[in-house]
Amino acid sequence: MSITRKVSRLAVLTLAAGFMAAPVLAQPIHLEDVAELSGGGATVGTNFKNGADLAIAEINAKGGILGHKIEITHADSQSNPGVARALVQKALDNNPYVLLGPGYSGSVKVTESLAAKAGIANIMGGEAAELTQTGNEYVFRTSFGQQSTMPKVARYIAEEIKAKTVAVVWVNNDFGKGGRDVINAEFAKRGIKVVADLSTEAGQVDFAADVLKVKNAAPDAVFVYLNEDESARALKELKRQGVTVPLIGETTLTGQKVIDLAGGAAEGALAHVGLTTDAPIPAVQEFRKNFAAKYNYVPDHNGIKGYLAIYVIKAVTEKMGKVDPANFAKTLHGMTIRAKDEPGILMDVTYDEHGDIDRQGFLVEVKDGKQVVKTILPKMVP
Amino acid sequence: MSTQRLLTLLGLTLGVLLLLVAPFWMSKYQLYVVSLWAVMSIAAIGLNLTLGYAGQVSLAQGVFVGVGAYTGAIMTTNGMPMAAALVVAVVLCFAIGWALGYPALRVQHHYLAFVTLAFSTLGYLVFRNEEWLTKGIYGIVDVPRPMLLGVQAESNLRFYFVCILSLAIVSFGVWWLIRSPWGRAFVALRENPIRALSLGVDTRRYTLMAFAIGSCLGGVAGVIYAPLVEFIDPSPFTLDLSLKLLMMVIVGGSGFFAGPYLGAAIAVLLPEVLRFTEGYYLLIYAAFVMILMIISPTGLLGILDRYLTARSTRKASAARAALSASFGDQT
Repeated sequence: MSITRKVSRLAVLTLAAGFMAAPVLAQPIHLEDVAELSGGGATVGTNFKNGADLAIAEINAKGGILGHKIEITHADSQSNPGVARALVQKALDNNPYVLLGPGYSGSVKVTESLAAKAGIANIMGGEAAELTQTGNEYVFRTSFGQQSTMPKVARYIAEEIKAKTVAVVWVNNDFGKGGRDVINAEFAKRGIKVVADLSTEAGQVDFAADVLKVKNAAPDAVFVYLNEDESARALKELKRQGVTVPLIGETTLTGQKVIDLAGGAAEGALAHVGLTTDAPIPAVQEFRKNFAAKYNYVPDHNGIKGYLAIYVIKAVTEKMGKVDPANFAKTLHGMTIRAKDEPGILMDVTYDEHGDIDRQGFLVEVKDGKQVVKTILPKMVP
Repeated sequence: MSTQRLLTLLGLTLGVLLLLVAPFWMSKYQLYVVSLWAVMSIAAIGLNLTLGYAGQVSLAQGVFVGVGAYTGAIMTTNGMPMAAALVVAVVLCFAIGWALGYPALRVQHHYLAFVTLAFSTLGYLVFRNEEWLTKGIYGIVDVPRPMLLGVQAESNLRFYFVCILSLAIVSFGVWWLIRSPWGRAFVALRENPIRALSLGVDTRRYTLMAFAIGSCLGGVAGVIYAPLVEFIDPSPFTLDLSLKLLMMVIVGGSGFFAGPYLGAAIAVLLPEVLRFTEGYYLLIYAAFVMILMIISPTGLLGILDRYLTARSTRKASAARAALSASFGDQT
């Protein structure tokens, strides 16, 4: 390249940079998202990211929040807490309005205190019970924590199925272990005996040995708490070995992906679901349609989480009447966002002082290859 | 040779200056990433000793980082000082590394890799399942940053210097070691164990030693890793980490003193630098590493080494030619 061409190229670049840095009328709202875009949690993070992007596109198309457009940066934590920490640090260095993610509870444990130290609200996807129990005033969930879902599942198993004994099949990561610990405590309270307590590996392919143990224990019901792919494999094996007692799960067991992978084996499986794209609610169906149109696949609950996170930000900002990062967390505590005021929130939601949510849930059953809502479990506080 | 020495000296001075001055202008994120590089370098230096110098393939270095990290986290969260944790971790890793060295006396290369691979999986299971000690899958939160020489190294900048200082101490120690008779014995072990044995090198002892010392450095890295992240759970210490450390050593240049530093820079810093390409950064990173391995199986420093060797060969043959020409003139 000749010197003159080099110089002219440099000039063009400088000009372009100047234009980009030029002040616009309303400063955009800057969000930072740290998500599991690669590694073991890639489906979790990618769904969350796409959900958030969809919500942002919708809001920006309607003129933004209080006239401010939203911009977001997504960073990949590689599903590794050490890397997540680096990226949350980087995100916070950029002074975001709100920090989104991560989705893995282990990563949230590392990063939530950083956000709190910086005084930035953190809307995350983790579901482990203890994430909101540390007195952190800046952390908020997008879905139920296990401490609020598991008692509902245990109650259903005790009162509706009337099981006296139960087998628990769980995946040994922080998600599975967390759920198993909470539900086993609930079973103990209700006098239900856990006759088989089976730890399985993330990514496990063969469930024959585990299912055999379930069969030999002859429980009245089986609680299956695994990630999506493993849920499908476990369901297939349970059917193959002729286990006919009710199979109950939480969120993952009856996801559309599991139903598709398990074929007929998912038929009759029951689950408590906090967020499902199969909810018989027009707003949720509309979201599902828009999401599928944009990304060419049906999202799981993580997609809704990312979508809701953005609409929570919108609702809080509009309630404050200004873009005020310092008061964001304070405003969100104890706040109820109603779907009639903010359709993007899909279902009424209330945040408590810990950042936990209260929202209606669903009891679903798989029928003819589809999730069918059996019962709607209402919000605790209407 | 003199060019090589000059280059080394220049690189070293520049590197040290950069590491000492640059942090004052770095953001918290950059400080953290460079600290992570320093920690991974220490672990890779350990593996370079085992693999690069002594020629023993190990897929278990990640476990030793884990042993160090858990020792550090458990002891410091129970109020004990980091220095004590460091001593315990070093002793523990030395003992475990020594024990792991025994299979290496019987099997070599791929077979040894398999033995250490099994150990790596075993280590992960212990971290995850021995809840009474390691808190299992939930991990240990709020690992405190240490008080060193009366200074609380809580801030990112101060802890950065803890990491860099540790790296400097380890580097000096290893530099001294590989120039000692021990280091030469390690190389002899790699190049020709039978000849080494016939020359009176106790190959059995040195093989075990290579494993034990390399593992110790993994432990040292772990003790610093825990307070750096301030949280540990079993997930970072799977086989992935061992493979990543192996990659660092090989990509940097196995058996070269500076190899691990470069390798760790590629494994830790390069993906971060490439993040501006968003979804493609891991693809580009992987392609880069693969192409590098095709061009130079001996790693980055292998390229430099080849260049310098070729140059000195050319010089020598030119000198020879000149000499013979001058002889030719005389006759």
